[in-house]
Amino acid sequence: MSDSNYSVRHILIGVWTAAVLMFVFLPSATILIASMTASRYFTFPITAFGFDWWSKTINSLEVRSLAYTSLSIAAVVTVIAVVLGFFGALAFARYDWRGRKLYQKFILLPIFFPQSVLGLALLLWFNALGFTLSWKTAVLAHLVWIAPVVTLVMAIQVYSFDPSLEEAATDLGASRWQTFREVTLPVLMPGIFSGSLFAFLLSWGNFPLSLFTTGADNTLPKYLYAKMVAGYTPGVPVLGTISTAAAAIVLFGGYVAMLLLTRNRKAAL
Amino acid sequence: MTAMSKPILQLKNVRKAFGTLAAVDDVNLSIGEGEFFTIVGPSGSGKTTLIRMLAGMEKPTSGDILLHDKRINDTPANERPTCMVFQSLALFPHRTVGQNIEFALKIRNVDPAVREKRARELMQQLHLPADYYSKNVTLCSGGERQRVALARALAFDPQILFFDEPLSAIDYKLRKTLEKELKDIHRETGKTFVYITHSLEEAMVMSDRIGVMRRGKLIQVGSPNEIYSTPRSRFVSEFMGDVNVIPVEANGAGSVRSQSLGASFKVPANSVEAKAQCLVVRPEFLRFLDTPAEAQNSLKGILYNEYALGSRIQYQVRVGEKVFLVEKLRQQPFKGKLDDEVLIGWDPENAILVADE
Repeated sequence: MSDSNYSVRHILIGVWTAAVLMFVFLPSATILIASMTASRYFTFPITAFGFDWWSKTINSLEVRSLAYTSLSIAAVVTVIAVVLGFFGALAFARYDWRGRKLYQKFILLPIFFPQSVLGLALLLWFNALGFTLSWKTAVLAHLVWIAPVVTLVMAIQVYSFDPSLEEAATDLGASRWQTFREVTLPVLMPGIFSGSLFAFLLSWGNFPLSLFTTGADNTLPKYLYAKMVAGYTPGVPVLGTISTAAAAIVLFGGYVAMLLLTRNRKAAL
Repeated sequence: MTAMSKPILQLKNVRKAFGTLAAVDDVNLSIGEGEFFTIVGPSGSGKTTLIRMLAGMEKPTSGDILLHDKRINDTPANERPTCMVFQSLALFPHRTVGQNIEFALKIRNVDPAVREKRARELMQQLHLPADYYSKNVTLCSGGERQRVALARALAFDPQILFFDEPLSAIDYKLRKTLEKELKDIHRETGKTFVYITHSLEEAMVMSDRIGVMRRGKLIQVGSPNEIYSTPRSRFVSEFMGDVNVIPVEANGAGSVRSQSLGASFKVPANSVEAKAQCLVVRPEFLRFLDTPAEAQNSLKGILYNEYALGSRIQYQVRVGEKVFLVEKLRQQPFKGKLDDEVLIGWDPENAILVADE
């Protein structure tokens, strides 16, 4: 192959990659631009830029309470989903037991349920059981969908786990608990970490399940929707930008933490 | 080692069944203190199941395993004073070389300074560079990983060391080096080594005694020399490497007859038994003859091909349908060319009669 062919191919790959990234990121960038308007209404292109809506939104008590509720739900969901998902993943990928094949199929089904239908079904259940709807019922609702996702994410890591590592630790005198603490848990740590990132971000951005199950409590995605339908202000794109940025920071922070973790492992004692 | 020392490990009628299949079937064995004992067999012969029972990772279905005359069937692996080097090595990927070696000592709450001193001693003994102490174990080469795994097991200070085919994934040249190193370590430590392999060649190099397994049964136990020179069955003789096997039947005192070759052969008089038998002649005991009078048994064949095996050369000689392998040292003169008619022969004391099983 000649040099010119080679460079043409490289240019095409570059153009294609840029186009795909534009397609994926341009809509989110538009939100950022829409948030920087001085006008009261939702117009595009923007005629006058201003940051009034940013300061209004950041100083709003209502927004702080929304963020707090979303954060609480995401935090609790993460902790519970990671515990459920970790042991679920061991059952999924590590141990051979009767009914495992069936479990593997059924545990993944909720991922593909339409979430709005799942939310409605959960709402019916919560009413039937006499639960008062609040952010706590939203946690339960999120878990129904997120725990299977986390199980799947962690199972991928568990599949690459060599069971003889545990046997070797036991053979070297470790008790069950010591084996778990010294070998199983740290070796599976990257999977636990990515599982918890998934749990947090999927809960943080979830709208359809929250819509039906939060009751009087309000989450960021739910508030954004309500404001969009009735009572739009440029505070909506501001909040949307903040919400997206928060997710990006969590993701990027997680990535950096992961890098540090693996580097520490490879460095000196 | 010829005379067996005091037994450290005894197996009595040990059996392990998975469903209806007996992976290990009625094995009796006694392993002496300080012995290098190797269990050899093809895959599926039950050798891995056997060593896993000895190490405490499987429980026998029936029978007894005795360590220093005490029954240990139900003692879990972490309470047994034995240690295993795994086929996958099972090194902890999230730990450094030093942390891997020190694992057993950390579990016992040994002081970190003492742990490090012991780890560094072992690293030196096993020719691991000192600066590997803080290197991540996943960055080590295959041979280095073998040494780390051995050091980790030795740090445990076990009474018996088990090896589950640890060298099977290593290339030939390095494997040969490590086999010898392992035997040296055995001498230096004086510990009992129990080794599993599918390669009888590997077993021969290292072992004091060898046990051959087939279909869950231990079919012959003996020194490498005994296994090599007096195999009890066709299976053991063929497992040893290239051999010439001629199905024969008894033909009076000191003689057997091969139907397919239409010839009779002289054998040592007391070796003939009635049941179906095979005559085994190793390639190195077969030689090219100028006249039939040079050996007590001879056959005429065609020189079909030759294979250079380093210090030796192996020839394929066809006698009718039957293929014979003849080996000679490279420096021994031989003028035969391919497609020549050649005469091959052997003396009765160089052939073995074995059961056809």
